[in-house]
Amino acid sequence: MTNNSHILYQTFSDSLAIPLDKVTDDLAYNTIPEWDSTAHMILIAEIENQFNIMLDTDDIIDMSSVAVAKSILAKYDVQF
Amino acid sequence: MSDFIDSSPVLSGYSVSLRPVIESDLEQLRVWRNDPQVSQYMLSQDIISAEQQLAWFKKIQRDPSQLHFIIEYKQQPIGSANIKARGIGKTLQQADVIEPGLYIALEQYRNNIVAFAPTLLLNDYCFEQLRCQCLRAIVKPDNQAALHYNQKLGYKIITNGELIEIELNFDDYQAHTQGLKALLSRSANRDKSNRTAR
Repeated sequence: MTNNSHILYQTFSDSLAIPLDKVTDDLAYNTIPEWDSTAHMILIAEIENQFNIMLDTDDIIDMSSVAVAKSILAKYDVQF
Repeated sequence: MSDFIDSSPVLSGYSVSLRPVIESDLEQLRVWRNDPQVSQYMLSQDIISAEQQLAWFKKIQRDPSQLHFIIEYKQQPIGSANIKARGIGKTLQQADVIEPGLYIALEQYRNNIVAFAPTLLLNDYCFEQLRCQCLRAIVKPDNQAALHYNQKLGYKIITNGELIEIELNFDDYQAHTQGLKALLSRSANRDKSNRTAR
């Protein structure tokens, strides 16, 4: 696992308040009670903070799973 | 501020737009509304015929107590929304209480943060343009997703029985949606040059 993958998984774990081992690429918005709209806002803020980027609204909307988060972050030059 | 209220407004913001339903939307609306994924949470699950749909459209066109919209995201219709005046004989402009309704028909957007966008637009319109006092909605008790969704927007349960009645005033709406509004209002063309990825 790359360092950025580890940072991303840890960010999901911290923002959604779930154990790290529950964070997989398949984890998707609204499929667990912890990842609701409020947690999504916290998650976006934390991803931006960790990777020093600012996401556009379309990317915030599209960020519906861990796997999609990786592909969106790649557009911001975050390598996985 | 002008007292003029457009009777067929197009609402845009939070990355979506709401435009009034036109006759060419009717078949798409009927397909959506008859889909069990959508109709299961409606008060009636009766299958709607094309004739019924046309009769409904003709009725709402001349009814100042309600407005019906198509929700568009990225220029694609994704669902439908409506508002109705509560109170006998009241128009939307006269109503103190307005009942909003909404469904996202496209599955990929149902479990998505964008589902909040049309509601924010509609609520802003009801509170800021139509100047209603509160919004009230009916939710079936088995529709926990809708209840949870509405509570995130600041709604409070006022009647809990065979159907659940929920209500939202402007102050609670403002207090609960500040972060969501900011998140869904970012410019797509913002200059990111001052922030770089690691």
